Amino acid sequence: MKVIGQGLPRVEILEKVTGESVFGADVRLSSPLLFGKILGSPHAHARIKSIDTTKAERLPGVKAVVTAQDLPAVRYGRFVRDEEYFARTKVRLVGDRIAAVAALDEETAEEALRLIKVDYEVLRPVTDALEAMREGAPLIHEEYDRYHAISMMEGRKGNICYHKKTVQGDIERGFQEADRIFEHRFYAPMVHQTYIEPHAVLARVDASGKVTVWVPTQAQFFIRQSVAEIFELPLIKVRVIPTEIGGGFGGKLLPTIEPAAVALARKSGMAVQIVMSRAEDFQVANPRHPCHMRYKTGVKLDGTIVAREVEVVLGTGAYCGIGAVTCQRVEMLAAGPYRIPNVKIDLFCVYANHANCGPYRAPAGPQLAFASESQIDIIARELELDPVEMRLKNAIEEGDTTPASGGPLKSVHAKATLLKVAEAAHWRVKPREKNRGRGIALGYWLVGGYASSAGVKLNEDGTVTVMTGVVDLSGTVTSLGQIVAEVLGVELDDVHVRTADSDFAPHSTISAGSQGLRSMGTATKMAAEEVKKQIMEVAADKLEAETSDLMVEGKRVYVRGSIEKGLSLGQVAQLSLVHKQGPIVSIQSSSHFPNQPAFSAHVTDVEVDPETGGVKILRYVAAQDVGTAINPLSVRGQIQGSVMQGLGQALSEACTFANGKMLNPSFLDYKIFSSLDAPRVEVYLVEHAAEDGPFGAKGIGEPSIIPVPAAVANAVRDAVGVSIFDLPLTAERVLKAIQEKNQRR
Amino acid sequence: MAEIKKRIRVTVNGERYEKDVSPAKSLLDFLRTDLNLTGTKEGCGEGECGACSVILNGRLVDSCLILAFEAEGQEIQTIEGISRHDRLHPLQKAFAEKGAAQCGYCTPGMIMAAKYLLDHNPSPTPEQTLTAIAGNLCRCTGYGSIVDAILSAAKER
Repeated sequence: MKVIGQGLPRVEILEKVTGESVFGADVRLSSPLLFGKILGSPHAHARIKSIDTTKAERLPGVKAVVTAQDLPAVRYGRFVRDEEYFARTKVRLVGDRIAAVAALDEETAEEALRLIKVDYEVLRPVTDALEAMREGAPLIHEEYDRYHAISMMEGRKGNICYHKKTVQGDIERGFQEADRIFEHRFYAPMVHQTYIEPHAVLARVDASGKVTVWVPTQAQFFIRQSVAEIFELPLIKVRVIPTEIGGGFGGKLLPTIEPAAVALARKSGMAVQIVMSRAEDFQVANPRHPCHMRYKTGVKLDGTIVAREVEVVLGTGAYCGIGAVTCQRVEMLAAGPYRIPNVKIDLFCVYANHANCGPYRAPAGPQLAFASESQIDIIARELELDPVEMRLKNAIEEGDTTPASGGPLKSVHAKATLLKVAEAAHWRVKPREKNRGRGIALGYWLVGGYASSAGVKLNEDGTVTVMTGVVDLSGTVTSLGQIVAEVLGVELDDVHVRTADSDFAPHSTISAGSQGLRSMGTATKMAAEEVKKQIMEVAADKLEAETSDLMVEGKRVYVRGSIEKGLSLGQVAQLSLVHKQGPIVSIQSSSHFPNQPAFSAHVTDVEVDPETGGVKILRYVAAQDVGTAINPLSVRGQIQGSVMQGLGQALSEACTFANGKMLNPSFLDYKIFSSLDAPRVEVYLVEHAAEDGPFGAKGIGEPSIIPVPAAVANAVRDAVGVSIFDLPLTAERVLKAIQEKNQRR
Repeated sequence: MAEIKKRIRVTVNGERYEKDVSPAKSLLDFLRTDLNLTGTKEGCGEGECGACSVILNGRLVDSCLILAFEAEGQEIQTIEGISRHDRLHPLQKAFAEKGAAQCGYCTPGMIMAAKYLLDHNPSPTPEQTLTAIAGNLCRCTGYGSIVDAILSAAKER
């Protein structure tokens, strides 16, 4: 292969390094612009008695004020219709939307917000999922029974929005057969994606009533659908133009400020821009679900796992959002990538008066792995087994199934990934210095694939244009170009590929779930192959040859064995214009990708300061089962960045709340890793071409974050002999555990 | 609302500008809205993320923390001003080649911080480089490729 496997710079890189790229807040129109602001509730739980916007409307410079009264009475939600865009009768989180204003400048918009008078009857908030499940807890959705829900939404009761039990084998007998049983509780708090670009949007409505929305989104077709649903518009009346996106990590999938901008633009007749402040983004965007986990595991003395019972309580926030799909993830992943004959998984998705949680890079993945892989490590120590050996003994293999995996799994490389990281990190040569330790963890993720379509056309000079609507987060678009270049025997420079908008791109998958390249890459490859077929047909006519004798490479098509007997792709493109076939172009679709496993195994060395509890990462080694790396530069970069986010989750990040109000909504108090905290992440790729996926590529983005908190917790245990069951492993927490351990002596 | 504006004269990327600005306007806002130089980004508006880094009279600053009128009479350099005659600055080239920009949102500020470093220390060590970009948050790369790019640009210059 010539272009696949090359670590080429991203196709849009020059715009990015020169500052030319247009991100959400960079869109400029020739018409004047209004600044929009959203009024959020100051209370986590309250009834709305009245809303008075008259003073705000009268403020000079204010061009529109909107509330629920200005929108159709539409209740939405993918699994259960529990959400209204603006609150009508009740607020359920701090920041729940009450109203929005658009004004000539930002200061006036802010002043207008202060003039809106809302009368609340404040209710007792319930901000933790376990508390919300208790008998007598205040009900967050009193009318829950009347909401429309899809049929999978079983077990709804009180604040429990979804409850599912999964059993495999005979769990009681499994525990009876066990020589030892271990049970631990873990907690992972809410953490935020903290893309550096806050949410931003610009909306305009033209004279025909057509809405155009410029937005940095991971899912332009989903935003189009949501806007159309909320405003009861046909899809052709909504155009979403995805801008460059300054990081998403799942946080820019669901609609947030788009409908407000649209409502203001419709009411004012002018273009409206809304940009979230960092504090707003922290408080009301859609962070990672806080997760309570109980793991009970039965093992034989040789380390064989015979039974595992997992209970997970996921705080979904004020609304269900993607809580139910995150629960499906939990069902698939909770037991870990191990052959376990008897499994029981009990999972609860629970409302609480906090931010509406959403997708963040491997939803539920790092939380579950923190619990599962910490416990495996504790068991290995208790049984005096090597942690790598214990995992190798139980790891799944080709053709195995795991709960909810959807059938036997193909392209399973758990063991190869473990062995790779152990070798790269010199696992057996352990650090001997005092207070230093080493930890390992295995990450497991299942990647599916949603429907996608893509187009490829041959231009009159032999260059190629790709038509795709997939948004580029991690180099996907460049990889699509590489796929097309490989199929058509041209260079990446001969291919133009950029994201087109919702009016012009064929339906595209979301840029999430690690499936963008698998899904869109497959459709794109099919379209390129069809274009290649058309090239050969036109050339075969002209060259009086059989298509089976033709080669397409080096920007030419020629008769195999006689390279001079051929045509340039430009000649073919021009011939095709007068050929019976017409212009060479193809749009192809793909759908229904079975679950494909992807593994990541990480080893880290840490040093713990026994005086402060501070944890320093000395070394970080990540091995990942990536199938074929279409672009190793992108793949490595994505893994390195993902590990850094995981380290934040492991050591420093947590959204903290008082009465539902976030206490640390700034980069000063919510600590993500800076360059001074960052270790150099060593990446090792385990490349075995996958069963399906373009050129054997697998999903990359999510598996890479999953094992990080567990690897760190296991290294801390190795260093100072303490187990931490709550994330993050702050210095205070580690110090407290060390002190407790010393007191026990 | 009528508000009192103040006239300022600044030189940005070698071009002189004279504009009336509101006294509360930040330098970042002035660059982005009055001069339409949107290469400089806002990530937090609180001086914590560095996305708005520019060079003001030879100092690296967070332009969100400075009022536009404080820049009166001064020289400002932004990402738009560092490539000359369509030739990329060595840092821009190195960032492109080393995969040091993924989403690209922190990139303009990051490159300005790196430029400030190389202007004062043409051959920095990896540690000095990590320190120089400590005020610029990146959520995509994990910083390794950024350090590689800066060190490689230092060699190029």
